[in-house]
Amino acid sequence: MAAASASASDAQTSYETERDNEPRLGVELLKDTARKALIDTLNAVNGAKTLVLDPTLAGPLGLVTEVALLKHHGVDKMFWLEPGPLTSTTTNVVYLCRPLIKYVKIIADQVKAHIRESQKHRYTLFLVPRISTLVSRILEEEGILGDITISSYNLQFIPIADDVISLENDTAFKELWVDGDETVIYNSALALNSLQKVYGRFPRILGKGDYASRLATLLTKSLPDQPSPLSDPSIPSAPFDSLIIMDRTVDMITPLLTQLTYEGLIDEFIGLKNSHVELPVSLLTLPAAPNPSNPNATPSGSASITPLINEKTKKHHLSTATDPLLTELRDLNFSSVGKRLSRVAHRLDEDYKARLQAKTVAQIRDFVGKLGGLQGEHQALRLHTGLSEMLSLKTRAELFNKSLEVQQNLLASYEVSAQINAIEDMIAQGASMQTIVRLLCLASITSGGIKAKSLDGVKRELLQAYGYNYLPLLLSLAAPPLAILLPNPLPISAAPAVAGNKYPFVTLRKSLRLLIDDNPEALEEVENDISYTYSGYAPISIRLVQCVAQKSGVISNPAEKSSADDGDGKGKGSSARKLHAHPIVGWKGFEDVLGTIPGKTFDIVQKVPASANSTASSVASLMRPREQTTTTAVFFLGGCTYTEIAALRWVSRQNKGRKFLIVTTGIVSGNSLVDSIASTGKNLSTTKDVNTY
Amino acid sequence: MDTVQHPSATWEAVSNGIVFYRRQQLYTLPGKLPNIADYLIAGCKNGGPIALMRDTSKLVALGRGGPAFSKSQIQVYSPAGEGLLLFSWDQGRIVRFGWTFDERLVVLNEEGVYRLYDLQGDYQQFSLGNEAAELGIIDARIHENGLVALTGSLTLLEVKDWEGGRPLALANPGISEPPHSHVEVLLSVDATILTVDNLESADQRVARGPFLHVSPSPNGKFLALLTFSGLLWVVSSDFQRELVVLDTATVGAEGPVNQVEWCGNDAVLVTWNDLASLILPSRDNLAGETLRYLYFGATFVVTEADGARVIGQDVCDFIQKVPASSVSIFRPGSTSSSAILFAAWESFVQRSPKADENIRSIRSDLAAAVNECIDAAGHEWDPHWQRKLLSAAKFGWGFLDLYNPTDFIAMGQALKVLNAVRFYEIGIPLTYSEYQYVSPAHLINRLTSRNLHLLAIRVSSFLSLKPDVVLKHWASVKIARSKSSAVDGEDDEVCRLIVDKFEKLGGGEVSYADIARRAWEVGRTGLATKLLDHETRASDQVPLLLTMKEDKLALVKAVDSGDTDLVYHVLLHLHKRLPLGSFFKLIEDGGDQLAPASKLLQVYAREQNREMLRDFYYSDDRRVESATLALDEAAQMTDPHAVMTAVNAAEKFFSEDKDRPFEAKMMNESVRLLALQQQYEKDSDGKVKFFGQSVSETIRTCISNDMSKKADRVKSEFKVPDKRFWYLKLHALTAMRNFDALDTFARSRRSPIGYEAFVRHLVEAGHLKQAALYVVRCDGPKRVGLYVLCEDWRAAGRECKERGDKKGMEQLRKSCPNALIARELDQLIASMK
Repeated sequence: MAAASASASDAQTSYETERDNEPRLGVELLKDTARKALIDTLNAVNGAKTLVLDPTLAGPLGLVTEVALLKHHGVDKMFWLEPGPLTSTTTNVVYLCRPLIKYVKIIADQVKAHIRESQKHRYTLFLVPRISTLVSRILEEEGILGDITISSYNLQFIPIADDVISLENDTAFKELWVDGDETVIYNSALALNSLQKVYGRFPRILGKGDYASRLATLLTKSLPDQPSPLSDPSIPSAPFDSLIIMDRTVDMITPLLTQLTYEGLIDEFIGLKNSHVELPVSLLTLPAAPNPSNPNATPSGSASITPLINEKTKKHHLSTATDPLLTELRDLNFSSVGKRLSRVAHRLDEDYKARLQAKTVAQIRDFVGKLGGLQGEHQALRLHTGLSEMLSLKTRAELFNKSLEVQQNLLASYEVSAQINAIEDMIAQGASMQTIVRLLCLASITSGGIKAKSLDGVKRELLQAYGYNYLPLLLSLAAPPLAILLPNPLPISAAPAVAGNKYPFVTLRKSLRLLIDDNPEALEEVENDISYTYSGYAPISIRLVQCVAQKSGVISNPAEKSSADDGDGKGKGSSARKLHAHPIVGWKGFEDVLGTIPGKTFDIVQKVPASANSTASSVASLMRPREQTTTTAVFFLGGCTYTEIAALRWVSRQNKGRKFLIVTTGIVSGNSLVDSIASTGKNLSTTKDVNTY
Repeated sequence: MDTVQHPSATWEAVSNGIVFYRRQQLYTLPGKLPNIADYLIAGCKNGGPIALMRDTSKLVALGRGGPAFSKSQIQVYSPAGEGLLLFSWDQGRIVRFGWTFDERLVVLNEEGVYRLYDLQGDYQQFSLGNEAAELGIIDARIHENGLVALTGSLTLLEVKDWEGGRPLALANPGISEPPHSHVEVLLSVDATILTVDNLESADQRVARGPFLHVSPSPNGKFLALLTFSGLLWVVSSDFQRELVVLDTATVGAEGPVNQVEWCGNDAVLVTWNDLASLILPSRDNLAGETLRYLYFGATFVVTEADGARVIGQDVCDFIQKVPASSVSIFRPGSTSSSAILFAAWESFVQRSPKADENIRSIRSDLAAAVNECIDAAGHEWDPHWQRKLLSAAKFGWGFLDLYNPTDFIAMGQALKVLNAVRFYEIGIPLTYSEYQYVSPAHLINRLTSRNLHLLAIRVSSFLSLKPDVVLKHWASVKIARSKSSAVDGEDDEVCRLIVDKFEKLGGGEVSYADIARRAWEVGRTGLATKLLDHETRASDQVPLLLTMKEDKLALVKAVDSGDTDLVYHVLLHLHKRLPLGSFFKLIEDGGDQLAPASKLLQVYAREQNREMLRDFYYSDDRRVESATLALDEAAQMTDPHAVMTAVNAAEKFFSEDKDRPFEAKMMNESVRLLALQQQYEKDSDGKVKFFGQSVSETIRTCISNDMSKKADRVKSEFKVPDKRFWYLKLHALTAMRNFDALDTFARSRRSPIGYEAFVRHLVEAGHLKQAALYVVRCDGPKRVGLYVLCEDWRAAGRECKERGDKKGMEQLRKSCPNALIARELDQLIASMK
């Protein structure tokens, strides 16, 4: 553990020196808090215990702790919470799960089975993140409420990168917009409130979208007190200047498109779950035994690599803490990844060659000292070269390119009906259901609905090709408040809410400058605009953030001027030339644009409670030089994509004085959204990753 | 200054002048109390009030007491003689009455019913249980935190708190006749004492009994016992150590002993009419030492932790051992450092140079002297002396380099508060040590229970305590006092008053829910609702609304709070309480406002109570949801027949909705497909699994299992487009490596998907040779590229030559993989010329 955290801080410092030296909020604190809370939770039950874990929590918990830590705190054996009998050798049985009805039923069955067999156990149920009446009610209905002690484990934001924190709730989108279950909003409000307790209040809360507005209202209202992780909030190095809440439905287009950054593409093709990716073992094993004389050699990475699942693949934690190369690669458009990799390879080669120049003993000692780092980089290079080979193989597939073509055409509103036919052809060619649904929804949103007749036709094709059991999925997509797969014109019977909420894509395309000329040469040289993440299309959600935090970026490319005389590319101009970020002044200048997008727009200035402490800090703020770096928190209610994270990082790099903290309910992609909606009612089969922890 | 009596003026020395006792007059109460000799009295500790009840065993001259004597009445007076409460008792004979720690009067009757009266006359009633009621209670002892009752069958019952807890039976003492006296669980039976707890009863084998009075000291370490013969016996509570054995007849009083009570932990006060005698153990005389205090008429003694309060006919006195700090300062001729400090200060005030001299002489002990002065100030009753002592302390610490004044400030605050409550109109003669013991919060509670809200709020803000308690109490009294809501404006007025006060004084942090509950309890529903509106914490608000049966409001508030768990709480509660129909109606009528609740109910019901969900959708005519639910169930079923029934049901639901013809049609197809699949499974003797596959999958399965006829039938029956069918067949046959069949299929008619698709798919599957065969059938211009894809370079070269495409040839030459092919290509290039 110590080794891992040490290397984490190493990587972080090197990362910061590469980027800039501006202060940012230390989110590692949240991880420590979560880990400590977990230990306290486990220690609340005395003696050896059997831990029964909610499989969907394994991923998030894996980001917070390791199995070894659990063993240290009396966990004797671990099981997944799944149907079937539970055999426990310890008196204590500890369940750790989210308060879902299906889990409670499983628990009830297991406990009742034990009672029947007159096994005596002490049961403790820890609910994440808080205790629920529902659960106690169901336990009561099952008649075992008296046998179980119920408590909570308040797992809130988990840092998944040094500027991204997440609730890691995979089903948030579906719960909100399909089920109408607003629990996520309340939990988010509680979590954001804890965040305020740790890092100080958000002086201003802005946002867009009905549920986002609901969240903001909850945040400004008094929330019940919860134990805060820190008793005294010291003024952080980069205090919040605002919180921008984006509700996922404000920009449904972005997740439907194929992400074209490195990390985004990994998510699209291989799947990134809780920052873990399953890779062939051959990619992960070391080519040769590392030099034993080197204490700094990579194996610190192996701490986060979870044990073997089967012969073929292995889970790998993609984290900048253990992988120095990832920082450079993750946000690049995939087309420039190859180039970057070869540059790194060359550099590495030269570094290795340095050994030939080493003549004196001192020089050799220097070289040997660097060797560990070199080998680490070497290993990372191997991994990423292999990975990008895998990806580029897939990018060459015919269906993939066809899908990209359809996406580009739809975004440009070019021959919409021809695109629908193309989608139909893709069904015939056997494209995946998710791809088809994504494209159809995209067509519906961008063109304000698909012609009723062709829509029925393509829906029929879809059902025949993938199964009639997807009918509920289609219904969910068409039903308000989601309404992203609609016929045009709308049937008369449609709810007026749906009719009035047509997404004004065509106007937005112009007013927010969404489509940028895709010039391949320019793209390779300069990351000109956030649109690089989709090779020429700028995600609306991030454009809206720019409307608040970087107004000039919406109207023209701020990087263009600097790039003209900055041959270095990468927008890495010396910080002296970077302009200081403008203060947060709300939506000013873009009110009209926001007015056209359905959903409430809000801008709330939070009153800072009058107390001795705050007057001191307000005096401090007066004294503060204008150059003070502030943090803008951007909360994605319903999840965000890796491309959006990349785009926000890009925005952050353009100015000095403002850092973004990306806060989300979870990481989503078009496929994960479609999958979560499609599984409505079906038993979410979690068996897939049961053995992986 | 000279008119003020010196503190030591009231002192009387014992133990050869080492220990002093003082009698401090607290209040004079001429004519304020009735003749206490005629009454049974219970006194409350810590400067609390006394309760009086007519002693029916005594004769009373008619006409003197007024009509009050005709019925059972209990009167409560403050120690300053102010009447606090008067109520009549109509519940059967009172066995005992006494006070609780928080100043509530406990009255126990012979039926085992006891009531707890607060100082406003409101009461809570509890019972000792049926058994006690049948047997009757013959005696009881009431102490601060509970009571012990002796039933008619001579068993003991103990109540351990004042929350109405179930009485606990103590071990049966096994006695045959009523004991002479009992204290807590010490029974004086015949000549001995029994100690009883809930497990056992032990005979202490004491032979001096029987005893008339048994009195334990406040700290429980000693007992004072008085025998029938008038012998006072003070022993340690384990009966091992005798402290005093004294024949009370020798004290020189007449008549029977009224009370034997402790004065602090060091002395026993024995009272007769006209006399109170303080008896304290002495080292050299087992008879102890005696101090005599004369009173006129009967007295009543209340034991306090650090002394005893004596209430006489016209005075209320406090007898106490003079605290060490006071002795050290004020004892005549004292040379302690604190006494010198005090003298120094007095000299300083008189501008005498002796001050400096005095201070110098105690330099080393100055800090201790200062502390002692502060402490002594706390024990002085008179503000005059308090001020002097504090001034002396302040004077002293001026000579110290470093001094932490926290104690000084705390003492100043405490004294200010104590002096305020000791004022005769308030009448709480609390000593400093008691104040330390009971805590300021407790004192504030006592003030509020006397309805002294103004003083209470001032004290609490003075001590910077939270004002919630006072405000809440004030509000509940306000509600109770205000006229019930006959007039509409009344509720608003009261509500406004309360809200104003809360916001002004409470800093917006006082919970309205408690007050609202109180209002509801006294039947002011309207007011309760209005008050609840001001409650910001929904988690406090909603449960009360539910109790008030304000179902809809509760649900609305829960939804507004955003706390889904709270919404569930309400939903589940209502689901249990209301008939299903009205439950649904409540939710449906809520419209958009309650939409989130409705959604949550569906989420819950989908997992836990599908029957209810079906009813819910049905009652609201939600066909689409009903259908979706049916499909959802179908997805979880395994029995083919059940699946088909469910899908059929879904089709029916869809067809009932005129906007859903497409869905109905799809479901119809679905059922047909399922039927067909069953048929096919039967045809293949169950070897091939079809059931549950999609149309495309069914076709693929057919082809993979050489059932192309069946595949064709599926195609025609479900109107599968040619394109999709061709792709399916292409993919399936390729996967089977059945290239002959593929060839036949390709030749069966002109391909609707073109032949490029064949080439590309075969290449992707790795069958390059097979792929090359189909290139010929593709569009001319594309062939070269496709041949290259199949890695058939020669064919590509030939194609170029045929087309006369020199550029293409050059390109080919450049990209070719090896020398052999390059040579061949070169030949072709040459031949082209």
